[in-house]
Amino acid sequence: MNGRQRTYSIRISSGRQKLVSVDDFSLQEGKITFLFGESGIGKSLISKAVYGLLDPEELDVTVNGEDYRLFLRRNETRAIQQFGFFVFQEPSTHLNPLLRLEEQLREGSLAGAPSETSILSRLWDSSSYRGVTDLLRVYPKPDRPSGGEKQRVLLTMAFKKIALLKDTPSHARSALYVFDEPSGNLDNHFRDQFLSILCEYHRQFRFTAVVITHDYSMITSLHRHQKDMLSAIAFREVFRKHQRLAVRDFAPSVYTQWADSLQPAVMPRQLSAPIIEFESGARVFGKTLVISKDANGTSPCALSIAPGMIAALKAPSGTGKTTLVKMIMGMSATARFRMTFCGEVLTHQMPRFYWRKHLWGKMMTMVFQHADEALNPSAAVKDIFHGLAEPAIRELLSEWFPDNTDPGFWKKRVRYLSGGEKQRLNLLRSLSLQTDLLILDEPLNGLDFESMTRVLTMLRMNQRKAQAVLIISHNDDVFDRLVPAEQTYYLHAR
Amino acid sequence: MKRFPGSDILWTVIWISGLAAVMAWDSAYLNAPAFAQVQEAFLHSMIAGVVTVVLALCFGWIAGVALYFFEQRRSGWAGVLRFKLDLIRSMPQILGLLTGYVLLTFFLDRGIIATQTGQLLWTSFVISIFLFIEVADVIIERIHHYAASDFVPAMLGCGIGEGRIVNVEILWRNCRAHLLNKAVSVFGMAIFLQCSVDFVVSVGLSTDVNLTNVPVTLGSLLAKIDSKQDVLAMGIVFTDPSYLPNLFVRHLQGVSTAFVIIFTLLCIARISEGIAKRYRL
Repeated sequence: MNGRQRTYSIRISSGRQKLVSVDDFSLQEGKITFLFGESGIGKSLISKAVYGLLDPEELDVTVNGEDYRLFLRRNETRAIQQFGFFVFQEPSTHLNPLLRLEEQLREGSLAGAPSETSILSRLWDSSSYRGVTDLLRVYPKPDRPSGGEKQRVLLTMAFKKIALLKDTPSHARSALYVFDEPSGNLDNHFRDQFLSILCEYHRQFRFTAVVITHDYSMITSLHRHQKDMLSAIAFREVFRKHQRLAVRDFAPSVYTQWADSLQPAVMPRQLSAPIIEFESGARVFGKTLVISKDANGTSPCALSIAPGMIAALKAPSGTGKTTLVKMIMGMSATARFRMTFCGEVLTHQMPRFYWRKHLWGKMMTMVFQHADEALNPSAAVKDIFHGLAEPAIRELLSEWFPDNTDPGFWKKRVRYLSGGEKQRLNLLRSLSLQTDLLILDEPLNGLDFESMTRVLTMLRMNQRKAQAVLIISHNDDVFDRLVPAEQTYYLHAR
Repeated sequence: MKRFPGSDILWTVIWISGLAAVMAWDSAYLNAPAFAQVQEAFLHSMIAGVVTVVLALCFGWIAGVALYFFEQRRSGWAGVLRFKLDLIRSMPQILGLLTGYVLLTFFLDRGIIATQTGQLLWTSFVISIFLFIEVADVIIERIHHYAASDFVPAMLGCGIGEGRIVNVEILWRNCRAHLLNKAVSVFGMAIFLQCSVDFVVSVGLSTDVNLTNVPVTLGSLLAKIDSKQDVLAMGIVFTDPSYLPNLFVRHLQGVSTAFVIIFTLLCIARISEGIAKRYRL
């Protein structure tokens, strides 16, 4: 049943800067390859090179030692493009702003595919499908539809293209379907829907596909809901080895066993008074933010975290989770709130000076969600840890960047780091501060498996030192196991 | 063109080469005392320009950062500082500079400023007072631009001081190209203002102050009777083109001074454009 294995040796550089150098990137025909690895390591670039999407005028590219211009002319490459589909990570770049979404769903070869209604209704909440038909009549603009909606439209287009295999099953092996971070803008429910549709089509057509992701929790979802498909799936991981990229098999059991081994974080000091109590009912932008311990928000309560405790804050995207933690940090200028922190009552009326002098970096700190924006791009790696002694910084870096043997890394500008490296620095900066309260906004975003384990180990260590931790994360697979149910808070905006 | 990484470098090379060529030509064809004056005038103008840039950068940086912090703290000083900046902005630069020269005559009369260095510094100070607003505007705009980025609250949350974030992380690490570009344009404006005002001053500002007791600059040298005649000689070329070669041997003082001024202003404008292009400002 298994098809042949396509192996690629890829070199990509821009001027003097080497972007990708990988020797052993292989794809099993007729299988879905899940390609993991930290953000920005080069997964997308490798896949684009194989799919024939790179511009040889802009980049110096060779594939299997062959000039990219020649590679693009090969029949194999043409077949990949002609019968396949590439779902881009950033959906806005893929959609034509001059065509309505419904027109794009039926454009070119997609016109011959079965209707998209069933796919759309599964990728959207079917109860609001009427809204989807309205949405399909719009021209895509940068801010409308939302990133998640655009992503769902693109996934629908990809599935329609796959459905064409019904008439031409022989193309299943030669074509390539690439899904670049397909769940980047979707919540866990719709991520599972995507995986479900993908697997259904694969059972029918046995096509070759690549799913690029740094969301390792997809493994759990596949194990839970698509067990019969595991033999048709290859899990691979891109990693850096001596300044070069390499691809290795990733045993899913490594992740599942690790995830299963996660235990709820137990409070070391059961009787400690809460370090923070943030009252429900804070107001911002005309909305009231209600905190509760039940998912429906029927019984509001204060968000309370004791020393050595890990709590989680959950809510659908856009509810205001980040806004709420910014209030806790005293960084939301327009909010109205009240909380008790270390026995002191703090409100929105406290002067900024107070937070700066007594709290920020001393008693509380926060890891911002997007490492790209949370670090000064012009700063060098060593500058991120301003105030720490050089030996301490070197020790932290050697621990968190064990594969990085580049002596110049110390002085490397942040803008030249991969997304995963930035996220590690972003976390490390705050984790090393030993504050009473640590707030983490999507801490596992963009990390590879090893870094994820390292983050959780450090969290445990900090917990033992009585640090209180508040986590916002869509990675329920990890944090539902780590955070006790009674320490999970739900946020509702009313 | 490909030899140079950017047009700013190319125009810097053109400027230096052009000045070197003029000096070489002058050394061959201009009489020694006049040549010495051209050199001295050029040197004084450049020194005054550089000092103006340094002072304008310092004043602009201090004013911009101070305004940002006053506004952050909602301090009443923000309004006072903004009013003062707007007051300076509303005043025509040339009038401001002339006022500075009036003060200079006063200081010279009283012997408060006695040396040529002091006079040059005073001139630079006065010019910088009317140019530092340009720098302050860039500083304020850049701080506001970066203050909206997540890295500022992220650093604040890690306990890094706001002063360091603004001065080092924002201005020093991220805005050097903007400031370099502004410094180059301030240099150009300083040369232009200095030449204009020195020319005006040379016509007569005071019975006690004249060209003999103010350091010679390109502007004042151009206003000297010899240079004026040289400049007038250029007009002859329009009616008698065969007179053109004489400009480059018999009227060198005025011609080379005028050329150095215009050529310098042109090159500085091009350098500034090149920097903006190179760093995509």
